Amino acid sequence: MMAATDTLAAPPRAATRPTPAIRRRRRPGIGNVVWGVVAWLVGILFFFPVLWMVLSSFKTEAAAYTNVPQFVFSPTLAEYRHVFSSGVGSYFLNSAIATVVSVVAVLLLGTPAAFALSLRPIKKTSDALFFFLSTKMLPIVAAIIPLFVAAEAVHMLDNVWTLVILYTAMNLPIAVWMMRSFLLEVPSELLEAAEMDGARLWRSLREVILPVVSPGLAATALICAIFAWNEFFFAVNITAARAATVPVFLVGFISSQGLYWAQLAAAATIATLPVVLAGWVAQRQLVRGLSFGAIK
Amino acid sequence: MADVCYDEATCIYAGADRPAVDALNLDIKDGEFVVLVGPSGSGKSTALRMLAGLEEIDAGSIRIGGRDMVGVPSRDRDIAMVFQNYALYPNKTVAENMGFSLKMHGVSKEERQRRVREAARLLDLEPLLGRKPKHLSGGQRQRVAMGRAIVREPQVFCMDEPLSNLDAKLRVQTRTQIAALQRRLGVTTVYVTHDQVEAMTMGDRVAVLRDGRLQQFATPGELYDRPVNLFVAGFIGSPAMNQLNVDVDAGALRVGETVVPLSAAQATAVAGLSRVTLGVRPEHLSVGGGELKLQVDLVEELGSDSYVYGHLVAEPDTSLVARAGRGRFRMGETVGIGFDPGQLHLFHPDSGERLGP
Amino acid sequence: MTAVTAPSAVPVGTIRSRSTRQVSWSRRAPLLPALVFVVVVTQVPFVVTIWYSLNSWNLVRPGSRQFVGLANYVHVATDVQFRTALVNTVVLTAGTVIISMVIGVALAVLLDRKFLGRSVVRTLLITPFLVMPVAAALLWKTAMFDPTFGIVDYVLGPLVGHVVWLSRFPLASVMVEMIWQWTPFMMLLVLAGLQSMPTDVVEAAGVDGARPFAIFRELTLPHLRRYIELGVVLGAIYVVNEFDSIYMMTQGGPGVSSTNLPYYIYERAFLGFDVGQSAAMGVVVLAGTILVATIALRLIFTSFTGREEAA
Ligand SMILES: Nc1ncnc2c1ncn2[C@@H]1O[C@H](COP(=O)(O)OP(=O)(O)O)[C@@H](O)[C@H]1O
Ligand SMILES: [Mg+2]
Repeated sequence: MMAATDTLAAPPRAATRPTPAIRRRRRPGIGNVVWGVVAWLVGILFFFPVLWMVLSSFKTEAAAYTNVPQFVFSPTLAEYRHVFSSGVGSYFLNSAIATVVSVVAVLLLGTPAAFALSLRPIKKTSDALFFFLSTKMLPIVAAIIPLFVAAEAVHMLDNVWTLVILYTAMNLPIAVWMMRSFLLEVPSELLEAAEMDGARLWRSLREVILPVVSPGLAATALICAIFAWNEFFFAVNITAARAATVPVFLVGFISSQGLYWAQLAAAATIATLPVVLAGWVAQRQLVRGLSFGAIK
Repeated sequence: MADVCYDEATCIYAGADRPAVDALNLDIKDGEFVVLVGPSGSGKSTALRMLAGLEEIDAGSIRIGGRDMVGVPSRDRDIAMVFQNYALYPNKTVAENMGFSLKMHGVSKEERQRRVREAARLLDLEPLLGRKPKHLSGGQRQRVAMGRAIVREPQVFCMDEPLSNLDAKLRVQTRTQIAALQRRLGVTTVYVTHDQVEAMTMGDRVAVLRDGRLQQFATPGELYDRPVNLFVAGFIGSPAMNQLNVDVDAGALRVGETVVPLSAAQATAVAGLSRVTLGVRPEHLSVGGGELKLQVDLVEELGSDSYVYGHLVAEPDTSLVARAGRGRFRMGETVGIGFDPGQLHLFHPDSGERLGP
Repeated sequence: MTAVTAPSAVPVGTIRSRSTRQVSWSRRAPLLPALVFVVVVTQVPFVVTIWYSLNSWNLVRPGSRQFVGLANYVHVATDVQFRTALVNTVVLTAGTVIISMVIGVALAVLLDRKFLGRSVVRTLLITPFLVMPVAAALLWKTAMFDPTFGIVDYVLGPLVGHVVWLSRFPLASVMVEMIWQWTPFMMLLVLAGLQSMPTDVVEAAGVDGARPFAIFRELTLPHLRRYIELGVVLGAIYVVNEFDSIYMMTQGGPGVSSTNLPYYIYERAFLGFDVGQSAAMGVVVLAGTILVATIALRLIFTSFTGREEAA
């Protein structure tokens, strides 16, 4: 009887509820607002140094050097003009070549390998996989001397193609693991269906598998590009004036120009911008790449 | 079109301790619709994939149209397959999906279009030809997968649980459509399912598998009337056949206090045994008209009729289910059960093999 | 029943060998280019390093190269600066990884809630990780830690007085910069873990009467464990090799107070030109890394990949 009364009484009560409460089952409590504010504050705190760098790059040198940080100033592009006139172009070109060519090479080498390790597993698959992974954790300092000596022996010091080779090797393990994790999500029936339809392996790869994994291919390329673009250790040790990349330019800029913060901020902002933008766009793929595909 | 012959065909997965398919023998006639049925893990899919060339034939052979398929890759077998999850190419339209195999076989574009359109008409897919698979409903995807198979006019269709991703109602509908389509095209078909109703309604003949072994290969009627062992008897039919361990007494069976007479052939078959396993289908027990007393535990009303679950008064450990008309019996009631001597199945109490005719 | 217990009907002799040589090669071939390339570029140098480590060789003195056996290793073992660098490496790695993981977990929990502008905050938070490491180090060295116009001194000065951070606390300063860069990485990993948490389990626990904190402790943390482990291992792999920030911020100084092993080896090789010694140090580091990381990596990735591939 009680239950019956309750159900009868319910409809009118529900009807008098304000509309938003019906749409959203739980209104964001005061707790959530507090947490939101905390999150925003922390976010701004973490972002502040970057913001400061960008702001400083629009200041004059005098405005950048103040004991009391200035947030209000009249912006100028003078420092950017200065940086561009200091020949940053060739460094950008070197970085671009090293990045683009090494990424293409990584995809060309890594995709078939990932394929062999996922869709058609071979014997010792996991051994091969862990071999790739283990190369990534070896300290590169321990390899730099022979690499330096070898590059010198074949007259490839200060040569952007040496960087291409090194960056390809550096990024291959990430690419293999990452591509494999994308390929594992492709149902094996798809390849079987193509095979039954009479397609040879290469044909089914190109026509069936590749279109399915192309987003993964793009994500892999992006991650490898970020690593190549930001790489400093190889670049500083085996390049000089001719093949130096953007990070080396930044370092060189300090020594040749002295510590002029506004100017440096402009240079650093330019150097950083491509990767930050790319990373913002591809946040989800970032996790996947950094975790070698372990996290979806 | 061709006949298919499994000849001691065996598949052993690497690392497995027993074959997934063990010396399978099946003779499938040209144009026949054969269903492989069995519980999950019984090797149905493996048997089908061996025919399709997706698993290796480790021993024995499989012949299609008399040609040995050992070592022949899938694409050279002239077989089409419908996968459980359909395996449609996500980046291709329905028309491209259906035409892909023709393209791979170098069929001209006009011919391709003609055949795709023809198959689409057969399956009501014409308005969908330009769509991508992700814009299709489950039933439509299933039809596209069918279309992709029939457009090739292959020698053999392989289907691995093609209906299991559909809802119950659509499944029943599609079941009859597939069966009708196959009869019309006359293409030899091997169809895998775990659902015995599907097997019984669709197959010309049904092969029952268990643990990689063939149990029985017969028409649905034969499977129902003369299951070769307790496993087949229990697997075919719903609710499952009642199984009672009973004493043999002078050419008759003794169930509790009741004596069930046997035919001469049956009596010969049980000669020398003191106990047998008696199998009776629920629909062959007459409720209310017999001497055997059954205490009713539960009545399942189905609308058209009802199933009465209960236990024998004389042997409380023995449970039975019987089909009865609707609404006549109630829980707790004691009713009389009668046997039809012509509808009894006798099995060896240890091996479970069928005894007698 | 006979059907179950009878032995396999297949006579053993008739079973064909499964993988013909041809098949296995066609499956292995796609792997080979990548494998060969990686071996040649990344593995051969390590072997050469081992050879170099057995020689005395100074690049600026041509003809100085000669085989000295294990002499370089004896030297490394007695090198006090090497030991300092080792300790610094451990401190820097452990400190960076642990602190950024703790902050990362907190931030991830914060970001797992719904609030206005959540994706914007997330974007802000991951930005430090995307900044080019060299630029980040430069930024912290000049704009943040500068003794006269740095922000850190401006904010903390009134509280703790004027401090020249980079020379008073060089290692800690480097660590702060690295934590700033690595916290987003940890946060992203843990956030992925939180978001992969099945909601029905949490709802079931709620129905069972568990309070939010109990749910976090009993369900969320155990679920997050492997994500945290993964973050720690991967973070450690990257951070142990850190070179950029030390090169940019302190040059390892003052003295060797903020020198880690990669930087020390670099210094010995490219500023001291002592190939043999730095190679020996490289080998020592290599051995240590292999020992620690193979075990950790395999454990964690096997738990993540879930299944070992069928051979
Ligand atoms: N790829 C595989 N590797 C190893 N064992 C397998 C594989 N596929 C199936 N099996 C095993 O083979 C047996 C038969 O499987 P399957 O043919 O898929 O059964 P069904 O389709 O009847 O459910 C099962 O025991 C299963 O565990
Ligand atoms: Mg199956």
